[in-house]
Amino acid sequence: MEGSGRSPLAKLILKDPELSFSLLGLVFSALVIGFVRNPFYLDVLIMIFLWAMLASSWNIAGGYAGMFSLGHGAFIGIGAYMSSMLFIHFKLSPWIGMLIGAIAAGIIASFLGTICGRLKGHYFALATIAFVELINIAGVQLKELTRGSEGLSIPFHAGLANFMFESKVTYAYIGLIFVALFYFLSLALERSKLGYYLVAMREDEDAAKSLSINTPRIKMISIGISGFLAAIGGTFYAQYILFIEPDTVLSFNFSVQVALVTIVGGMGTALGPVIGSFLLTPLSMLLRAYLGGGLAGLHIVIYGFLLIIVVFFIPAGIVNAIRTPLKKYLKGEEIG
Amino acid sequence: MILQLLISGILLGGVYALVSIGLTLIFGVLDVVNFAHGEFLMIGMYAAFWLCTLLNIDPYLSILLVAPLLFFVGLFVGRTVIRQTIGAPSSVQIFATVGVSLILMNGALLLWKADFRSVPTAYGSGAISLGPIFIGYPQLMSFIGAIVSSAMLFPFLRYTYIGKAIRATAQDRRAAMLMGIDIQKIYTFTFGIGIALVGIASSLLAPIYSIYPGVGAQFVLVAYVAVVLGGLGNIPGAILGSIIIGITETFSGFFISPGWRQGIYYAVFILVLIFRPQGLFGQKQ
Repeated sequence: MEGSGRSPLAKLILKDPELSFSLLGLVFSALVIGFVRNPFYLDVLIMIFLWAMLASSWNIAGGYAGMFSLGHGAFIGIGAYMSSMLFIHFKLSPWIGMLIGAIAAGIIASFLGTICGRLKGHYFALATIAFVELINIAGVQLKELTRGSEGLSIPFHAGLANFMFESKVTYAYIGLIFVALFYFLSLALERSKLGYYLVAMREDEDAAKSLSINTPRIKMISIGISGFLAAIGGTFYAQYILFIEPDTVLSFNFSVQVALVTIVGGMGTALGPVIGSFLLTPLSMLLRAYLGGGLAGLHIVIYGFLLIIVVFFIPAGIVNAIRTPLKKYLKGEEIG
Repeated sequence: MILQLLISGILLGGVYALVSIGLTLIFGVLDVVNFAHGEFLMIGMYAAFWLCTLLNIDPYLSILLVAPLLFFVGLFVGRTVIRQTIGAPSSVQIFATVGVSLILMNGALLLWKADFRSVPTAYGSGAISLGPIFIGYPQLMSFIGAIVSSAMLFPFLRYTYIGKAIRATAQDRRAAMLMGIDIQKIYTFTFGIGIALVGIASSLLAPIYSIYPGVGAQFVLVAYVAVVLGGLGNIPGAILGSIIIGITETFSGFFISPGWRQGIYYAVFILVLIFRPQGLFGQKQ
């Protein structure tokens, strides 16, 4: 094996460095979870996976299709509330509730994408903000279902069918599996015909149309997938935190943070949201843990500066900033 | 009752108009949607609060200090952040101003905590009664403030050199540049003016509303709705749009339910964006 450039592993690395890097990361993360015993670090890992999921879902619409949603909290919240309400009121397993919520969110997202799809740039963003605020008000007002701004506590009964576990390690593994699924789905999308269509539309919608790409249709599909995945992330959030309220999952701020993780990591790349979450989530959690409640908000101030810096200096995000030169280097190696 | 609701709605619209005017001016000239607009309002309200509690300056008098202060804050942010976003892809515009908003809002949370504060004034809850109709004194003041500040803005934009330069830039950047207008300066200056208008608004609103780090969001979303209703960049349209929203809010609060009243105008907003993105009074492009 050693030294031979023809071993299947080496071939894979040369042919698809991104995929091999991600597989390596996946195996590494799985091993790390097995060794971590400190509950705080496990918590950090789980939150990294959660934000990677949420950001990956945003990336499908915001990154690939260029539909800058600032209202993804609506879809996340629909997922979180749907599975939790079905569990509390009808004792339905959150796994099934998750699917129902995801389908509901996917349909609502497609509908929103269809009616607001022709709005460009900031108009679309404004419409999505109005949408998340609307859903937020519904969450506060429909007290019989959601308990309003008091929030909804999910009673803890550990068990696989209930999607609740005694050990954080289990949550971490499930989170990792979800992240892997979301990531491979994004990668498959990126390399599919639909993925190329989306990127073409993002770069120049008129040109894409003139190449007979049905832009309203692919907008609808991409935001539908995005809403579907966001709702799954929402259920995972609800099952782990066991408490949801309109001011977190159904808020504009939550929606902005989802977008922010993706932008810092790299929009329109499968790896970007994951890398963004690996960088930002521990940062915010460590700041919150060590600075305590006395300096509440500091981590978001830092987020704000980071956002401005990234947007001005590396608008393509960290993944692209590293990947483009690396690709050139690897290609040079191959030829040489 | 209907008349009372109508008048309360118009006065409330005046409050919203104060915030919308600056937003629409910035949009019209810079073609940037300022997602941090509400946070400037929040900063101005805190300034009015501190001037009142520490130096005992009446909020209405503090306009003379808060408006210039916010003008300079606007110049600074305009110069460091906003100017770099002009002509950039909308992702850059959106997220740079969202970044400013995050910094200001959470900076305020760090400095002044999440407590709700209010400016104590003798007239805060005062009302004038005209027969069966009650008009809140601070609401009336803010309505007058909105009318006066837009009345001052018009001659400024119409007759002064810099006002003409601002309008020229709004109409055609390239032509303005060719006429020897330093459009970069105009951008920064316009942003400063827009934020100074927010400063006027914040002093007028301080006696009415509680002040907390997230207070801006509650106004700015309404301001967006009003601005889009009136046609982005259209100042009289923004005032009219604000009044429509104010009336909608009081009526739906009374006839439907107070909790849903904001939901109604968000729904109206989405509908207007979809069916008349040029605004209710705008021409189709």
